[in-house]
Amino acid sequence: MKRLRIKKKRKKLDIIDYIVIVTLSLFAISIIIPFYNLLMVSIVPQKVYLENPFIMIPKMATLANYKAVFSDSSILDGYLITLIVVLVGVPYNLFLIFTFGYALSKRKFWGKNFVLNMVIITMFFSGGTIPYFLVVTSLGLFDNILALILPYGINTFYMLIARNFFQQIPKSLEESAKIDGANEFRILWSIILPVSRPIMATIFLFCVVDRWNEWWNGLLFIQTKELRPLQLILRNIINTQNFNTSNMPPAIQHLVFSEGIKAANIFIVMLPIMLVYPFVQKHFIKGVLIGSIKS
Amino acid sequence: MNSNMSINNKSRFSTWKRIKANRFIYFLLIPGLIFYIVFAYLPMYGVLLAFQDVGIGSSLLGNEWIGLENFQRLFEDEEFWIAFRNTIIISFGRLITGFSIPIILAILINELWHSKIKKTIQTIVTFPHFLSWVIISGIIFNLLSGDGLVNGIIEFFGHDKYYFSKEQNLFRPLLYVSGIWKSAGWGSVIYLAAISGINPELYEAATIDGASRLQRIRYITWSGMKPVVVLMLLLSIGGIMNAGFEQIFLMYNPTLYDVSDIIDTYVYRRTFVDGADYGLSTAAGLFKSVINITLLIFANYISKRIDKDYSIF
Repeated sequence: MKRLRIKKKRKKLDIIDYIVIVTLSLFAISIIIPFYNLLMVSIVPQKVYLENPFIMIPKMATLANYKAVFSDSSILDGYLITLIVVLVGVPYNLFLIFTFGYALSKRKFWGKNFVLNMVIITMFFSGGTIPYFLVVTSLGLFDNILALILPYGINTFYMLIARNFFQQIPKSLEESAKIDGANEFRILWSIILPVSRPIMATIFLFCVVDRWNEWWNGLLFIQTKELRPLQLILRNIINTQNFNTSNMPPAIQHLVFSEGIKAANIFIVMLPIMLVYPFVQKHFIKGVLIGSIKS
Repeated sequence: MNSNMSINNKSRFSTWKRIKANRFIYFLLIPGLIFYIVFAYLPMYGVLLAFQDVGIGSSLLGNEWIGLENFQRLFEDEEFWIAFRNTIIISFGRLITGFSIPIILAILINELWHSKIKKTIQTIVTFPHFLSWVIISGIIFNLLSGDGLVNGIIEFFGHDKYYFSKEQNLFRPLLYVSGIWKSAGWGSVIYLAAISGINPELYEAATIDGASRLQRIRYITWSGMKPVVVLMLLLSIGGIMNAGFEQIFLMYNPTLYDVSDIIDTYVYRRTFVDGADYGLSTAAGLFKSVINITLLIFANYISKRIDKDYSIF
C-alpha cells in the first residue's frame, strides 16, 4: 500500500514510464487484433473478405456464416457433450481434490510422506501415451463418455494448492469444534468446507476451463460422432479443406466461405470463456498467489 | 476417535493404534489413492511394455519379454532421430524465447503505476492462456491463410503471398511467437506474485539513498524475483524433452515433418496412424522421460551447489 501512495505522488512521468506503457500497449494490441480480425472475418460475406482481409469496420455484415454453423448439429452436439463433461467432471475433480488435499494437510499420520512423495513423482514422470491408452481401454472406457471424465481426476498442482490452503487454517478452529463434541465428518463438512470456499472456487474455475478445453482424451478414446467433445469437433472443422455448402440454406450459399465458417465456429466455441473471463480473472491470479507462497 | 491424542502420546501407542486414531484421514485418502493408482501408477507400470513384444490387441499383462529389441529398432529408425533433433532444437528455442519474455513482462507491468491500466493490461495479456490450442491454432490458421490478414499485409507491401503450411523455415519461429502470444501473459503472473512479496520499504530506502529507477529494478525487483526465476528455470529444464506436443500436433502437417516432428508426435503416429507399434512407441516415450528426469536432477544438483535455497528437492 505504502509503495502505491509514493508512486502516485510522483507527478512527472519519466522516459521509463513511456517505454513501459508503449511496450505493454503494443503487446496488448497484438493480442486483441487476432480476436478482432476473427470476429470480422466471421461476419462478412466472402466478397468483402477477398477484397481486403484487414477489416476495421465492415462495409457489409451478415450472419450467414453463423447460420451455416447451425445448419449442421455437430457443434450443438459437442456443446452438449462438453456440458455434461463439465457438469459431472468438475464435481468429481473437486471431491477428489478436497478430500485428498485435506487429508494430506494433516500434520502427522503414518505413511504421509510416502503418499506425498508418490504423488509428487507423478508430476515429473508418467507412463506415456500407450500405457495410459491401454489402461483406460482395458477399464472398458473406450468410446464411453466416462473416458472423458474419469482419467482427469486430480490435477496434482491444484491439489497441492488446496493442501497449502488447508494447512493455513488455524488449528484452534477444529479444536474448539471438537470440544463442542462435533465428530470429524461434521468438522469437515460444516467448518472446513465453508472456510475453504475461496480456494475451492478458484480450483473450480481452473477445472471448468481445463474441461472446456479438453480434446485429447476425446481423440484417443471416442469413436462415435455424437460423443465427441466440443473442442475435438472444432479441431475437425478447422482441418476441413472444403465445406459442403449444398446442404446449407440456399439463401446463404453465396455468402459463406470456408475461412468465415471456421471463424464463426471458433468464435462460438470460445465465446463462453470470453464472456466470463474478465469477471473471474482475479480468482485465477489468486490461485497462483496461494500456490506461490509455498515455494 | 481423537486424532490429536495420537500426537501427544505417540510413544505409548503402537503404529497400529496410531493408524486407528487417524482412520478418518485414511478414509479421506482412499478415493484419491484409487485415482492415482489407476490413472498414474498403472500406466507407469506400463512402461515395461518397452521391453516386451506388444502390438494391437495386447494388454498390459502377459506379453513376451524381448529385452532391448524395441530400443534397438527405435535407434535404427531415421525418423526417430529427426524427431529427437527437432525436440531439442524446439525446446531450446522455447527456453530462450518463451522463458525470458514473461520475466520482462512482469517487470514492465510492475512498473506501471496506474492501477486501472495495470489491471486492464493484465486481463488482456493473460486471456489467451485460457483458450485451448485448438482455438488458438484455428485463429493462427485464419490469420495466415492465403487470403488472410497477414498475407493481406504482405501483399500490400508488394511481396508475394506466403503459404505458411508449406514454409519449413517459418514453422519454428511461428511456434515460438504463438507460444509467447498465448502464454507469456499468464507466465508473468507467477513473477508478479514474487515481486509483490518484496518489502516496499526496500524501494523507499533505495529512493532516499538516491538509487535511480533502473537501479531499483535491477537491485530490488530483480533480486526479489530471482529465486522464482531459478525455480521456473529448473522446472523447464526438467521438461525440456516435452517441446509442446499439443501445439505442434495441431499446427504441423506432413510437408513440415522435417522441422516439426518431435518425439511425442512421432510416438502418436507410430501408435495410432502408421500401425500400432506399441512396444516401439513406449520405448520412445520412456527414453524421453528418462532424459527429462536426468536433466531435472542434474540441474537441481547444480543449482544446489550454487545456492542451497535454489533447489526443488
